[in-house]
Parts: sequence; C-alpha cells; structure tokens
Amino acid sequence: MRNSRIELARERARKAKTAIGVLTAVVFGVAFVGAKSHAPGHAKGKAQPLGAPSSFERAVRHSVAQGGQIAPAVQPPPVASSTS
Amino acid sequence: MTGGNVHRFPAMGCDVAVAGGDEAAVARVLERWEDAFSLFRPGSELSRVNDAPAHVIRVSPLLASAVQVALDVAAETDGLVDPTLCGRWTEIGVAGRLLFRPPGLALDLNGVVKALAVDEAVATLDGPGFVSVGGDLAVHGPVDVALPADGAIRVVAGGLATSGTASRGAHLVDPKTGVPSESPWAQVTASGSSCLAADVAAKTGFLLGNDGPAWLDARGVPGRFVSVRGEIVENNLWAGAAQAVETCT
Repeated sequence: MRNSRIELARERARKAKTAIGVLTAVVFGVAFVGAKSHAPGHAKGKAQPLGAPSSFERAVRHSVAQGGQIAPAVQPPPVASSTS
Repeated sequence: MTGGNVHRFPAMGCDVAVAGGDEAAVARVLERWEDAFSLFRPGSELSRVNDAPAHVIRVSPLLASAVQVALDVAAETDGLVDPTLCGRWTEIGVAGRLLFRPPGLALDLNGVVKALAVDEAVATLDGPGFVSVGGDLAVHGPVDVALPADGAIRVVAGGLATSGTASRGAHLVDPKTGVPSESPWAQVTASGSSCLAADVAAKTGFLLGNDGPAWLDARGVPGRFVSVRGEIVENNLWAGAAQAVETCT
C-alpha cells in the first residue's frame, strides 16, 4: 500500500518534469524564431556604418567660412570691430 | 538696436563688451576657454598637452572638438590658418577624445579659440545684444558696429571679425614662410555666419594679400580691407550689402 503511493507520487513527478521540460523547449523555440524574424534589434543583414555621408561632411566643413548678414548701419554703434 | 547697457571687462587678454545678457555668464564661458587653452597658463590643458612626450593623448571633449575645428579650418584655408603655425597640421589627428600628434609638435589654437568662445558666449544671451572679445564679435539680433578706419556696418546675424597688424604689429604668421605675413592690408574685416567664420575669413583674407577680396567673394563672405596706406577696399559682397537700397517710400 505504502509502496504503491510512493510509486504513484514518483510517476506524477516524472510526468511533471517532462511537461515542464517540453514546455520550456517549446517556449524557447517560439521566442527564438520570433526574435529572429521580427525583432528589429536582431540584424538580419550586414551592419552598415552610422557615420554621416561624406557629402554632408563636406558641406559642414565648407560652412567654416560661410558669410554672415550685414546691412547699412542706422544707429550710433555701441561696439567696434578691431584687431586684437 | 544699440544693445542697451554695455558691460565691459577684461578677459582672454582682451577687452570684452557684452550687451543683452548676463555678463557673469559670459565671463564664466570665456574663463572656461581661457583656462583650457591659454598658452600663458602652464596648467592649462593645452600647455600640458604640448609638454607631454606621448604620441597619443587622451584629452577633454572641449579640446578634442577645438582641435578638430582647427583642422577643419586649416583644410578649408589650404593651411593658411594652421594650428601648428609651421605647415605640419596634416600630422595632427583626432579620434573621439584621442589626440594624435608627433611629440614636440606644439599646438597653438589661438586662431580659433577666441572665436569659438565668443560663439558659445553669445548663446547665453537672453535678449538682443552682442558679445565682443577684442573686437571679434557675434550678435543676437541686429547690432551696429564701428569699423576700422572710420565707418560702421549693421551686423544683422552671425559675427564680425577684424584681423591685421594695426594694433599688435605683424603677429599673423604665414605658415608657408614661417615668418610674419607681409600683407598689403593693415586690417581686414569679414562678416561670417558665426564669429568663427568671420575670424577665419578675416585672417585668410589678410594672409592672401591681393587675392583676399576675391577669395572671400568666391565663398560668399563680405569683406572690407584697409590697406597699409589707409585705402579702403570692399569686396563685391560687402559693397553690395553696405549700400542702402530703399524700395519703399
């Protein structure tokens, strides 16, 4: 009587372990496949450099000597431009 | 506008004028730049970098960005405004916060630092006004500015800078010769989209001599040249902008 109860308990434990193992494998597999095919963080192609295009860099560099806006003076100037 | 009250104080070895904002905030910005870049302060970061024997040096983001700007300026001006003052600017490199340069090759960033400081300082203004450091200025709203050898111009936006030999003698070194420039100009004033742009244009216009006015015209930069004999030459863009055109009556 006592032995049969222990056997039954062991049998239930084995089934539970098997179920948990199968469930874990299924969940992992589904998540793996889903991430591979849908998650944007998982690159599917070759990585591209994040640097600015060279045309943009040339334009920024050129702006080092870009002209300002001036007009005829209309009031007594409060400040002077001079060599320093 | 006249800028309201103009506050004046010394900084970066120059006379500073501020209108339209908190002069204490401007002073803090200028002090930060001077503390990092002054070659007269042995403890400045630039002095320590110049003294360092290493080929690769980890520097502050401020110094790294200033060196990168100086190299961009050198490239833009074909080496006329050179952070090494000796034509070796191509041996300098910056990658992130790492500075590469041959040991013993000293950097002098005076060609860009003052203008960069002015451009940062003018951003602190909370109203129309200007920041002028030694006559190189940037505006926040239109400001009328007196010019060398008489006259005035309204700076609508950006900056205005003057370079030459009028106040300190021949201090602009031509990197191609290594000696002070013998330019036909005593002072060159340029209008730029920023104080940096104006300063670079003024220095280059000065160092290019008789080719200066055309060089500035080709880049869309208004420039005004005062010769050593006192004659005033305006390039096409300056002359066009300085002429009053009244279309409304």
